[in-house]
Amino acid sequence: MDKFSFKDVLVTFAGLFITTLVAWVLITSTGNNPSEVAKYLYEGGFKGTRNIANSLYQATPLILTATATLISFRVGMFNIGINGSMYVGALYAGWAGYRFTNLGHFSHVTLCILIGMTVGALWMLLPALLRVYAGVSEIISTIILNFVAVLFVSYMANGPFRADPIAPATARILETAELKQIFPNSQFNTGFFIAVIVAILAHFVLNKTTFGYELRSGGDGLVGVYPSRFSSYLGIPSDRSAIIGMLISGALGGLAGAIEVLGAVRYFFQELEFNQGFDGILIGILGKLEPIGAIIASLFYGAIKNGGFFVDYKTDVAREIIIVLISILIFFVSAQKIVKGLEKYPIVKKLDSFFSRKKM
Amino acid sequence: MEWIEIFDISLLRSLLRSTAPIAIVGMAAAICSAAGVLNIGLEGKMLNAAFAGVAASYYTESMWAGLTAGVIAGIMTAVLFGLLSFTLGADEVLAGLAINIFSLAGTTYLMRTLWGQAGFFSDPKIVGVEPIHFTFLEGTFLEPFVSGFTYSVYLMFFIAVGLHILYYRTRLGTAIRATGENPEAAEDAGINTVRIKWLVTVFSGLLAGISGLFLSLENLTMFTEGMSAGKGYIGLVASSFGNATPLGTFGASAFFGLGDAIGIRLQGVYELDSRLILMIPYALTVVVLILIGIRQRLKVRPVAIPES
Amino acid sequence: MNKEIAIHLKNITKSYPGVIANKNVDFQVNKGEIHALVGENGAGKSTLMKILYGIEQPDEGEIVINGSMETINKVETAINLGIGMVHQEFTLVPSFTAPENIGLGQEPKNSKGLVDWKGLNKSVMDIAEKYGFKVDPGLKMIDASVGVQQRTEILKTLYRNANILILDEPTAVLTPQETDELFNVIRTLVNEGKTVIFITHKLREVMEIADRVTVMRAGEVQGVSETKNTSITELASQMVGREVFLQVKKDEADPKDEILNVENLWVHDARGLLAVNGVEMSIKEGEIVGIAGVEGNGQTELVEALTGLRKASRGKIMYLGEDIASSTPKNIRRKKIAHIPEDRTNTGLNTQLSIWENLIGNSYFRKPLSSKGIFNLKKVAKHANKLKEDFDIRSPNVSLKVKSLSGGNQQKVVVARELSEDPTLTIASQPTRGVDIGNIEAIHEQLVQMRDDGGAVLLVSAELDEVMAVADRVGVMYEGQIVKWVNPKEVDQSQMGLYMAGVTE
Repeated sequence: MDKFSFKDVLVTFAGLFITTLVAWVLITSTGNNPSEVAKYLYEGGFKGTRNIANSLYQATPLILTATATLISFRVGMFNIGINGSMYVGALYAGWAGYRFTNLGHFSHVTLCILIGMTVGALWMLLPALLRVYAGVSEIISTIILNFVAVLFVSYMANGPFRADPIAPATARILETAELKQIFPNSQFNTGFFIAVIVAILAHFVLNKTTFGYELRSGGDGLVGVYPSRFSSYLGIPSDRSAIIGMLISGALGGLAGAIEVLGAVRYFFQELEFNQGFDGILIGILGKLEPIGAIIASLFYGAIKNGGFFVDYKTDVAREIIIVLISILIFFVSAQKIVKGLEKYPIVKKLDSFFSRKKM
Repeated sequence: MEWIEIFDISLLRSLLRSTAPIAIVGMAAAICSAAGVLNIGLEGKMLNAAFAGVAASYYTESMWAGLTAGVIAGIMTAVLFGLLSFTLGADEVLAGLAINIFSLAGTTYLMRTLWGQAGFFSDPKIVGVEPIHFTFLEGTFLEPFVSGFTYSVYLMFFIAVGLHILYYRTRLGTAIRATGENPEAAEDAGINTVRIKWLVTVFSGLLAGISGLFLSLENLTMFTEGMSAGKGYIGLVASSFGNATPLGTFGASAFFGLGDAIGIRLQGVYELDSRLILMIPYALTVVVLILIGIRQRLKVRPVAIPES
Repeated sequence: MNKEIAIHLKNITKSYPGVIANKNVDFQVNKGEIHALVGENGAGKSTLMKILYGIEQPDEGEIVINGSMETINKVETAINLGIGMVHQEFTLVPSFTAPENIGLGQEPKNSKGLVDWKGLNKSVMDIAEKYGFKVDPGLKMIDASVGVQQRTEILKTLYRNANILILDEPTAVLTPQETDELFNVIRTLVNEGKTVIFITHKLREVMEIADRVTVMRAGEVQGVSETKNTSITELASQMVGREVFLQVKKDEADPKDEILNVENLWVHDARGLLAVNGVEMSIKEGEIVGIAGVEGNGQTELVEALTGLRKASRGKIMYLGEDIASSTPKNIRRKKIAHIPEDRTNTGLNTQLSIWENLIGNSYFRKPLSSKGIFNLKKVAKHANKLKEDFDIRSPNVSLKVKSLSGGNQQKVVVARELSEDPTLTIASQPTRGVDIGNIEAIHEQLVQMRDDGGAVLLVSAELDEVMAVADRVGVMYEGQIVKWVNPKEVDQSQMGLYMAGVTE
């Protein structure tokens, strides 16, 4: 994957500028005051310990889903089903949270997380096998499984796992399974640190280990390149890489769900709604498919997402505007010809080569 | 036997109603894929059309305004997809995906901001599409089979037949199929493949728009968050199962429609959990994907080793 | 004799960055003749025909068609002038039948504006009958044999009213029987007043079918003759016989123990046809064995079988006394067999990865580059930068993506990686394709160095000069077999031309 180059930064900023203009138009045309929205967006995202804590809380699952996305993309697979893994991971982590008793805090949390990750990974097994052994597009199969996941967990919370006679919800997880919340009045929890550590670990594995190298040898970009002749030529089985990449991707989705339940919600209920799996795709791309980039982009996204809630609460502007704006930004970033068009200009080329100097 | 009761005329009617949105968007997917365009963004086109239809109908209290706005919204979304993919060089999958996320968030945003409604928006001012009754058929045995559907149910047959003729009996149709199968051959024959791709993309926007309008102005008279519920993707699978041919896609869509219709009836008979019923189309999709996979594997014929 | 001239290309010059593909080429074809255009790969035949067909524009020169000067700046113009071309790679739609492919874009319409398939079928069948083609109008191209596909392509040009047909290497993909059929077709075409330009490098075919022949070498015309006044030997010497300008400094080879012994190897190609028919071969340490031959005679499949990328159907590949015929690419690599593949961009490299990541593809798992699965990036950087220096890879740094490099530098990345791990056996397939002269020399020197260090080298190349200059022993491959083993010092180059055409007696 390309590291950030000057022209990418240029396109991103140009995109941000135009996105801001679009936002201004959108907000004004629906009869709201853009500067007021901007103020609340800033306050909700960054002002005071509680808002900052909430912003970090919002960033937590995003770091994981973005990392999950970029891992699959970089092994040459297009996993769009991370939201599904997140749902099933959350459900089963929650189940493990009340089902296993008499465990110590550490072992109980670990068990719940491992179960969530395993279920999330298994959720990706079918699309992976279908792709590798039958050539069925993983894009479609993972998208469809997202819908199955929503209905499945809803059914489970309503039926087999239902504990509450009034509300369709599972039992509350035991205290031994909780990820601790650190600040009062905020759902920010220690899961944040798990997410950051996992993303850093992913950075390490992808970029600094032979295992990561083998995974990436058949992919490494936005183009779905599986199956890769380069891998087979080097003697690296690209089938195995593709399957492992999908499973890791699903496991991280499951982890994101597990952390939501263990750290914030504390039980699973029917109306629990996740869309971080989809946000993760956008963030992964914004972060240039690098885990460190994903952390930074998630922190940014988490803050404006939390700011969006504040805007939603204070004004008539709905919080979905954030996703609208981010997807417009993605339109810019993905438009290859804009990036290529910039190469015409010698000044861009010069700055580009200046900024791309590295030790290696 | 209880389950036999499920198969009656009302099942057929429900089958047709369930098939219509999938078949129409499925044929949008089919014509795109015939021309070699992987159009993941159909979901977003449907959603934008469904929303625009409800919004225009609500503000003007006119069904025709609603339908027109919906179709235009579908086409505009298609143009956005074309701009990103063909003009600005974005990856088709990425462009489609971004459009879907954009459309889901965008329609929800507008619904909540314009009308302050979360989840769904329904209002008596929204004029929906009325079913068409053929008075001349009244009392005949045909009436229960063909009368009393909204226009899309009839339209899907015309689209299927029309596309079939387009595919196999017109220059444009052969040009589309040649573009998808071997662009070099098409270019060699003087066909402008980029223009063909644009054309099918815009047309797919029109069809996806009609399909989206079915959801918000025909089947129901309301807009709900994410109401396309994966139908755009199911349409893609239907087109893939139908080898991107109009009639094949139509058949595959009817298979999905049948699953849907049976599910609805089963629910009535056995009081099954609604979520399991709702899962049927997606479960069917997974089954179909597996079948597609098996079919692809069977295509690879083992090589015979001759004696020397 | 005063013959009408159908085509006259005057003084055509065309250069690409670093290469002159055509240099003052004068090419003349009479009306109603079969004119062969022969030359080795890269002699400039294809470029000349692309200029005639409007795909490329000449830097200099004139094109005269049927006596009038024309500017052909797009294919459509060429088609309107009655020129039709059958490319080596067919441009057919697989699921379409022959008439559907032939009429594509110009289907006749009936009164309702719909395509008149019956009418199209009829006019296609009429043309087919006129020229004695057998056409099954219902057969889809995906189910048709290569010969049928080719006839469909020829019919397509006739349907578009072509009077001058260019056939680019038409026999490369045909069996001998299909070739005979094609020749009958060509004769009928000429009898009906068409003019045929036949591009090939199989000299026997030239003698069999052509009236006149133009020989090209290194972008220039070497001679024009009537086939009845020339011979294969003469043509071969015009085609390849000249001072070898490729000079590789090397001492006499000193072969020692046997490294590789291939016994009765049979390999199928991707279409299921036999590509390698019982090859026998031996390579010793300290020698470079070359495989010469026209491309498509089984070299690709032979190399793929040796490197584990394609399963051998029969036979043994004994490497240091062990049969590796059913071994995986990984195991073969671990036994110190290096492979420079002919397909650089998809097989030899992952252009999405950086230069250093491509450079360590065969060494990433070993110390000191990595230990217990973790890279020592400092050592990796040192290793990569050393290779960059040693092999003169021109790039500001090794962190850039390989896709940012020129073709020659990309190839140097492949060569650097493959030669870096001290291979016992190096299999190099078309190692200098698309590489400029300076870098070609460097790559040749590196292969010789491998040999002098006691390694064994197998050099497969369609460039005869290259094989003759670099290899110590050369096998000529023709139709899946090695038809002749020669010492490049003892054999005349025109003799090689004969062997490459399958003539060994």
